Amino acid sequence: MVSREEIEHVAKLMRIEIDDPTIYEGVDKMIGYFDILDSAGVESEEISAREIELSNLREDKHIPFGEKLIEKLNHYKGTYVRAPKMV
Amino acid sequence: MNLKISALQFTREVKTGNISVEDFIGKTMEHIEKVDGNLHAFLSLNDNAVNQARDIDKKIKSGDKIGQCFGMPISIKDNICIKDTKTTCASKMLENYIAPYDATVITKLKQQDAIFVGKVNLDEFAMGLSTEFSAYGPSKNPWNTDYVPGGSSGGSAVSVSAFECVASLGSDTGGSVRNPASFCSTVGYKPTYGLISRYGLISYANSIEQIGPLTRTVEDAAFMLNLIAGLDSNDNTTINNNNADYLKDIDSGIEGKKIGIIKEMIGEGINPTVLSATKNAISKLEELGAICEEVSLDMVKYSVAAYYAITTTEAGSNLARYDNLRYGYDFSVEGYAFNAYIEKARKKLGPEVTRRMILGGFVPSSGYAGKYFLKALKVKSKLTRQIDEAFKKFDLLISPTVPILPFKIGEKINDPASLFLIDINTVTANLTGKPAISIPYAISNGLPIGIQLIANSMNDKLLLQAARALEKTVKLPEVPI
Repeated sequence: MVSREEIEHVAKLMRIEIDDPTIYEGVDKMIGYFDILDSAGVESEEISAREIELSNLREDKHIPFGEKLIEKLNHYKGTYVRAPKMV
Repeated sequence: MNLKISALQFTREVKTGNISVEDFIGKTMEHIEKVDGNLHAFLSLNDNAVNQARDIDKKIKSGDKIGQCFGMPISIKDNICIKDTKTTCASKMLENYIAPYDATVITKLKQQDAIFVGKVNLDEFAMGLSTEFSAYGPSKNPWNTDYVPGGSSGGSAVSVSAFECVASLGSDTGGSVRNPASFCSTVGYKPTYGLISRYGLISYANSIEQIGPLTRTVEDAAFMLNLIAGLDSNDNTTINNNNADYLKDIDSGIEGKKIGIIKEMIGEGINPTVLSATKNAISKLEELGAICEEVSLDMVKYSVAAYYAITTTEAGSNLARYDNLRYGYDFSVEGYAFNAYIEKARKKLGPEVTRRMILGGFVPSSGYAGKYFLKALKVKSKLTRQIDEAFKKFDLLISPTVPILPFKIGEKINDPASLFLIDINTVTANLTGKPAISIPYAISNGLPIGIQLIANSMNDKLLLQAARALEKTVKLPEVPI
């Protein structure tokens, strides 16, 4: 069970404004469902990670794209992205 | 013109000169115009398809080198990038996004002279299993248009099932190729993780998602896999398949193969008709010489929770880029403070995506990461160990693809937790990286049932051989469109 305030706090950190009240119920139900993981008995389990051989990585070299990607953005000025004011 | 032929039949008919590509593509586009208003598989169409077909006919006539697709009409899920075309992910957020490059699978299919007839519907950002969460409205099941086609690759399955193309590419994060394949009675293939490049697939949950084909036959799935599998320097998770030929020896049969029946996937909550079809499929496999025995993978009961804990975490990170600055719809930056601007931009995301993004913030956050995210990763590890152990004894595993029959549009949309449980039989293959396939097996009261086979990693060829053997035991009615 998570409170409305906790959901709003996380949403704020993720820059999401909740204007659909069903979101609270949906998130709460799912978090409640995740509690089933408590009974999985996996405390001593090691987490396995996928390993990628260094030889599988492509060479780290600059490949020009051939098009001006900056111009595909909605807001740009010269070679800068225009963003709203931070302060 | 018979549009109901398989991909391999199509290539044979073109090669022998029995049909022209232009005629076939022209008739396909006419058929889409005729039926898609009702089915809503497509989000956009390729207006240049007939011209491209004409060019391929010219190449054939002049004896030029021609690719293995011979102008085959293919639909593409709208989360896979085709250069200079809209790639919306069925989201208002990417309503006007034009992909600046081709996904690797698209590059490969272009080299083989495939024709992309259009981009097809999905749940927004592939988050869903009914296609009801598309921002552009749901697709409908061609077997009964009151019912969902499954998802998230619902548009792909509908377009193949309703003869709007001969094959489609979807993506499978937790069953998103196999689930709609089962609901629409097509073949749906999720390869071993890494077998097909994800470069150009718009990311949802990178660690487990894969592109996969939806086709009319198992042979067609093998053919598509031949064309799109293999190493890609743009995706360092791809693996070397040594140019395996998945079509070769596809009729080898399954005599002597050991098949494990996953106990946890045929238990509580399964529809009796689906259970009966599964038992029937097992009997058929035994008649073909397979040895079938029950096997328990007790981590399966935690797999859906683990799957959603992991995928929402990855989704929360992947979707952070949709802020209207790098991607997104257009409104001026003037007059906004930074946070308010991004909050406004994100209002374009639908309710399911918003819900999963918030969950994705919650699950790995301080105080909850140990409780949810780390446990989910541990379940994933233990499930992988269990399935690897099972594959020491068995060659293949079997279950119904989905434990229930297709449901009516709107029936479950307000209960996300019950919707998520429908993934119970498909997420295991994603969490463990194993290849899995859904084979059309039965029709009950006009609604399809698919059977799922799973193989060990890199045993895709064996999996396709077994699926082909099962497919040959089935004669299904034609889709009523």
